Amino acid sequence: MTDYLLRVAIKMAVTLFAIVTVTFVATRLSGNPIDTFLGEGLTDEGRDALIAYFQLDRSIWHQYVAYLRGVVSGEFGLSFIERRPVTQVVAARLWPSAQLLLASIGLTAAVSIPLGVLAALYRKSWIGSAVMVVAFSGYAVPNFVLAVVMILTFSYWLNWLPVVGNGTALHFIMPTIAMSGVLIAALTRFTRNAMLDVLGQDFIRTARAKGLPELAVVMRHGLGNAGVTVISVIGLQIASLAAAGSVVVETIFSWPGIGQLLVTAAIMRDYPVLQFGVIAVAVAVVLINAITDVAYALVDPRIRLARS
Amino acid sequence: MFRLLLTTALAAGLAPAAFAQEITVGAGNVAPFLDPGRDHSNVGSQFYFNSFDTLIDRDHSKLEPEWTPALATSWTLIDPTVMELKLREGVSFHNGEAMTADDVVFSLNRMFQATFPPYVVRSKDRLNNFTSAEKIDNYTVRIHAGREEPLWETLVSLQQIMIIPEEYTKALTGDPKVAEDSDFEAFSLAPVGTGPYSVAEFLPGERIVWERFDDFWGDKAPLQRATVVQIAETASRVTALKTGEADIITNVAPDQLSLIDSDPNLKTEGSVTALFHAMIMNANHPALKDPRIRQAMSYAVDRDTLNEALWLGKAVVPSTHTMKEFGDLYMPELTTFEYNPEKAKDLLKEAGYDGGEIVYTSFPTYYTNGLLAAQAIAEMWSAVGINAKVDVQEKWTGRDPQMMARNWSNPMYFADPFGSFGVMWAPGGPSESEGRFNTDEEYAAKWERFRFSTDVEVRKAAYAELMDEIKQDPPVLPLYRPFESWGMKKSVNWAPMPGHIPYVLDFRAGSISLADS
Amino acid sequence: MTGLADIVARHRRRRAGAAAGGDIIQRIALLLAVLLAAAAILTPLIAPFDPLDQSLISRLRPPAGFDRAGPGHLFGTDELGRDVLSRALYGMRLTLTLAFVGALIGLCLGGTLGVIAGLRRSWLEDAIMALVDMQIAIPFTLVALLVLAVLGSNVTVLVLVLGVAGWEQYARIVRAEVRRLTGQPFIEAARAAGAGTVYIARRHLLPNVVSPLVVQFTLALSNIVILESTLSFLGLGVQPPQPSLGSMVGLGRDYMPTAPWIVLAPAALIVTLTFTVQILGDWLRDRADVRLQER
Repeated sequence: MTDYLLRVAIKMAVTLFAIVTVTFVATRLSGNPIDTFLGEGLTDEGRDALIAYFQLDRSIWHQYVAYLRGVVSGEFGLSFIERRPVTQVVAARLWPSAQLLLASIGLTAAVSIPLGVLAALYRKSWIGSAVMVVAFSGYAVPNFVLAVVMILTFSYWLNWLPVVGNGTALHFIMPTIAMSGVLIAALTRFTRNAMLDVLGQDFIRTARAKGLPELAVVMRHGLGNAGVTVISVIGLQIASLAAAGSVVVETIFSWPGIGQLLVTAAIMRDYPVLQFGVIAVAVAVVLINAITDVAYALVDPRIRLARS
Repeated sequence: MFRLLLTTALAAGLAPAAFAQEITVGAGNVAPFLDPGRDHSNVGSQFYFNSFDTLIDRDHSKLEPEWTPALATSWTLIDPTVMELKLREGVSFHNGEAMTADDVVFSLNRMFQATFPPYVVRSKDRLNNFTSAEKIDNYTVRIHAGREEPLWETLVSLQQIMIIPEEYTKALTGDPKVAEDSDFEAFSLAPVGTGPYSVAEFLPGERIVWERFDDFWGDKAPLQRATVVQIAETASRVTALKTGEADIITNVAPDQLSLIDSDPNLKTEGSVTALFHAMIMNANHPALKDPRIRQAMSYAVDRDTLNEALWLGKAVVPSTHTMKEFGDLYMPELTTFEYNPEKAKDLLKEAGYDGGEIVYTSFPTYYTNGLLAAQAIAEMWSAVGINAKVDVQEKWTGRDPQMMARNWSNPMYFADPFGSFGVMWAPGGPSESEGRFNTDEEYAAKWERFRFSTDVEVRKAAYAELMDEIKQDPPVLPLYRPFESWGMKKSVNWAPMPGHIPYVLDFRAGSISLADS
Repeated sequence: MTGLADIVARHRRRRAGAAAGGDIIQRIALLLAVLLAAAAILTPLIAPFDPLDQSLISRLRPPAGFDRAGPGHLFGTDELGRDVLSRALYGMRLTLTLAFVGALIGLCLGGTLGVIAGLRRSWLEDAIMALVDMQIAIPFTLVALLVLAVLGSNVTVLVLVLGVAGWEQYARIVRAEVRRLTGQPFIEAARAAGAGTVYIARRHLLPNVVSPLVVQFTLALSNIVILESTLSFLGLGVQPPQPSLGSMVGLGRDYMPTAPWIVLAPAALIVTLTFTVQILGDWLRDRADVRLQER
């Protein structure tokens, strides 16, 4: 097991190093970033002063080494625009994003797991088909379309729901739904398939044969076992999907989270923020994946063995 | 019923509005930092007037400058290059420090003798005739200019030299006795001034909360609290106004005016902004070196149609680079820019235009209607035979030698042609140093007379000559002065005032009131 | 991380699916697919207007049947007086073209790397599989955001980004198949008989991977359509005045309260498109699975 953990750790370290390097190179591809964000009308002297100020007059290697050194000591530079450490800029956005993510995962689990079980139990009837069509819609309707249509209906025409920020519980309704569409689609399918797998196995037949009530069979033995797969899916897929979704949803709903920050930073060419933001999100996703991976390996020794 | 419940819940949760004299403003942009000295953006200028004071102020309800005492109670020129100011006593900063000559000298010299790069930039383009500020006694200071200055009051009332506290700023980081660059960085996130509202909370790019400052030296602030939140999405801003999330919203596009005005609880206020949306052209691009090509690009643009279609005719299309706000130097009689497609075709033929692609670059959203105007201008160019293309870039390309034409704005930073045309098109100014505009000795000589003559007639004549240079070899076409609108609840009495620079959200006494409803 | 990902992928492949009784849905999807493809191919013939033709005097006209509707503008006009229907059609054509080319790039890239990883069991395989892991770990929308922000958006960059989006799925499918095959006795025999790698690949590998790849290609298509429209929506994809479905929604959302048709027409097309492709892809997958199981 130690061996396995070590391998996971090394893999994580390599991935993270690669991410840091890729983001660094990417942000230096377009020449001197100073010109892209300086904005209107600046004299040469002013420009030179600012370049020196951000140490962009050094060689690219120098900058890279300085950046790596900063990364190791937890310093990722100053935001071009806000002129304060990017770690602070991103940290301020962490909680709203986490709130939205948790709300979405909650909604997704609450909707998908029952739907998935239903679809598995009534696989052959119209109920199963209907559930799967709903799941498809989640995939097919991009979150920005969902968001735009909801805003139009519930805020603009009906004046029911607020559209800006995260002030009250009501503010959560539309962003959470917009975030969850794809997640619900993904999780419903996985739940259904995991249930189908489990329900076809011997111990379920045994349980039924013992005369246990069907509900107990499905809930305890079926869902209990399928749950492992389902939870792993939440970790593996949801983190990545949600990170992508938050970019769009937070922008549309002026949600003061990391996703909105990244879009603004991309548009304003605030590279230090963009760089650190992408690194932070990637670290979060890689961590969640690694934890899921290890947890899964703990539950299922076959995986551990398969790799040694 | 459901709707009623929700609205009640919303009102309770969000805005204990009118009764408590509090408002929420939904702004298109909230500034990333707050320091009046280094800022001259259209975004930033919204926010300084409520929290900071200048030495000399003006009556903002009037278009013509009428100087009023602010932190200075009186001022005299004791020499053509030296102004002496008597300071107001009993003024305190938001943090409780008393304001003295030391703070004033510190604030002025941080710009006049700037070393912090962002200050250097602003100092060079508008304050470079000032050499230093000097303390005479605790409530007397002198400002020294390099040469005789025709615009004393105008320049002393600039946002960039609003007064900030010396001790507080120096103590923010590092050595409390020394003004380091990091002190100014820190200040811009925790700004302190002498104005009627203190900045109680500031989240860059997200939110500013103003609270009434009870020790303000002048008339008390009418609002207890004002919160500005950034709502970048245009449609969301309007929706937020409708749902009651915001009491005032900024940057309402003309297309949405009717929508707000048709709501019985809402209204709009607007004015023609003291700023030009402009098209700039790169005089040094190989394909545009011949001035006739650029003249044709200019003659081809039907600015009146743009105004009718995109601004409902509410914008103002200028005949030259001039505005009413310039006072004595307002010269609408000059005709520097006009629409003449036939002439454009002729000029293209004369210049031997080879049908090469001419690219118009536009920011996607920064200027209201900017991208729409870009696409419309490209169509107008096509109509006279220019092979036009629109290119959308979020970044500023004014320094790029490949840039051919693009949109820009020429704000009026202060009420004089020097504060608008002058800041951008001076010899050695930003346009020339970015390499897309050239001046020669003749231009510089005309510029000198325009900038420094103390005789208004000489200045006017020189400005007319400069405009002629621009006409012969055009680097810019001012499209129009946009009509900027704010949407608000009917219970809010607020409107932009003619004596301000563009976009100022003035919530001082006499500028805003809320009906008790 | 591969282990778990493989399990998930296996799950997904094994029994996902549009359910029994979905025959009608699939037929409708097929019909829609044919219609949409025809519309995309024939756009220049059927679009009533040039998608770039402006008419500033007839801006923001509502769809036919409403007050002030402009003549001939079935779905109304946009903020510059351009015909919404024509722009939506051209937008779909562009979106589909980008998606096809992007998916093809992904297929070639992923396929090649998959073959290499399957054949060369060395550090090269490890490196490629590490890349696969990375691709799975990093939310791709963020990478796309970064790249497009830095390089600026033009069609070439966009297509490359879209191509890189899904390569790892192909690589995994191909690698797994190669590994399965290389252990088989008949391959050893063919090798012993002097057959070259390329011959073996064409003769034995290709027939076996075609159907999973076609399935993957179809599913990827709908993902790429969504990615492209998302990026264009955010203003980082197709640039105006060129219409794409995503950018029409993105730029049109400023006019949502006043002129909702600008947004609704392209939004409806996006949903129809992705829905159709998803159902077809899933249907193909089920059929492919049946065949695989029969063998």
